[in-house]
Amino acid sequence: MKPFRADLHIHTLLSPCGSLEMSPREIIARAKSRGLDMIAVADHNSTYHCELTVTLGRETGLTVLRAAEVTSAEEVHSLVILPDEASTLSFQAWIDSHCTNMPHNPDIFGDQVVIDRDENIIREIDHFLPAALNASIDEVESAAHSHGGLFIPAHIDRPAMGILGQLGFIPGDLFIDAVEVVGRIADLLFPVIRNSDAHVPEHIGRRYTEYMLESASFAELAKALRGEAGRFIIPQP
Amino acid sequence: MKVTDIVEKLGLNVFSGHEGLGREVTGGYASDLLSDVMGHAEAGTVWITIQTHRNVTAIASLRDISAVIITSGEKPGDDTIAQSNEEGIPVLGTELRTFELAGRLYSLLG
Repeated sequence: MKPFRADLHIHTLLSPCGSLEMSPREIIARAKSRGLDMIAVADHNSTYHCELTVTLGRETGLTVLRAAEVTSAEEVHSLVILPDEASTLSFQAWIDSHCTNMPHNPDIFGDQVVIDRDENIIREIDHFLPAALNASIDEVESAAHSHGGLFIPAHIDRPAMGILGQLGFIPGDLFIDAVEVVGRIADLLFPVIRNSDAHVPEHIGRRYTEYMLESASFAELAKALRGEAGRFIIPQP
Repeated sequence: MKVTDIVEKLGLNVFSGHEGLGREVTGGYASDLLSDVMGHAEAGTVWITIQTHRNVTAIASLRDISAVIITSGEKPGDDTIAQSNEEGIPVLGTELRTFELAGRLYSLLG
């Protein structure tokens, strides 16, 4: 068992707000140079860069987890981290079935492109990805769990687009695996993690969390969030 | 003015919380950011929002809000309705957008 440093909220260039420099290859190179052991790519309501990043990570010795930053009907952002390729595909289908197809204007919001391993554009997404799904936060939570994923309300201490800003308080009956904070919050009833929410390469690893694990993997992370079998979130100074 | 007068004059649907239809209304507040309502809405106001999450009723109760009006034809879920009935805070509805509804309510409250 040893400490692993993880940044589990990184946008690729697929997110309209993500810099065009945020290719999977660049993200991995930066993550490694910042001393991260594990990352997750989490684009707005999309997982299209997960497989490529996982593959490139595997080739270069960095653990990459599959994730999405989902916008609920209440405009609450949550990270959903998924266990494997099959569950990610199926979760993407769930997202698509709740998509509201808001028109996208790249001149205002930025490009939404999917690239291949040679960094050629293979697809452009023509609806505005970050738009709210027509699914409540409760439905997002149950979809995350029914796909075997982890449900983590994102940047809860930001004034808007976080669960506290949008909903005033955390509903008591949501099953929350952890909460992501940007600043420092004490006395929460949930496991607390910090991630960069990077949209540009320089921000990768600006916030991270250390976990005591056997190895860097989804299963080990899930155990650490539950504090199981000696795995845990290493408290921050 | 009472909640029931507003229901009648603005032609609102009453989803739940019928027990509270006799509550007095002293003003209005329009916001979809629940943290903002939690911090700023005054007791006795009618709250206009498109949010339908059950936290709406919890915050309405916390701030002693007289009634909630959900705009744009949105419908509250079963858990929101249940809590509204429990608290006796009416949850009302309209097809109007927040802007139009707020204008009419403002005129009505003079």
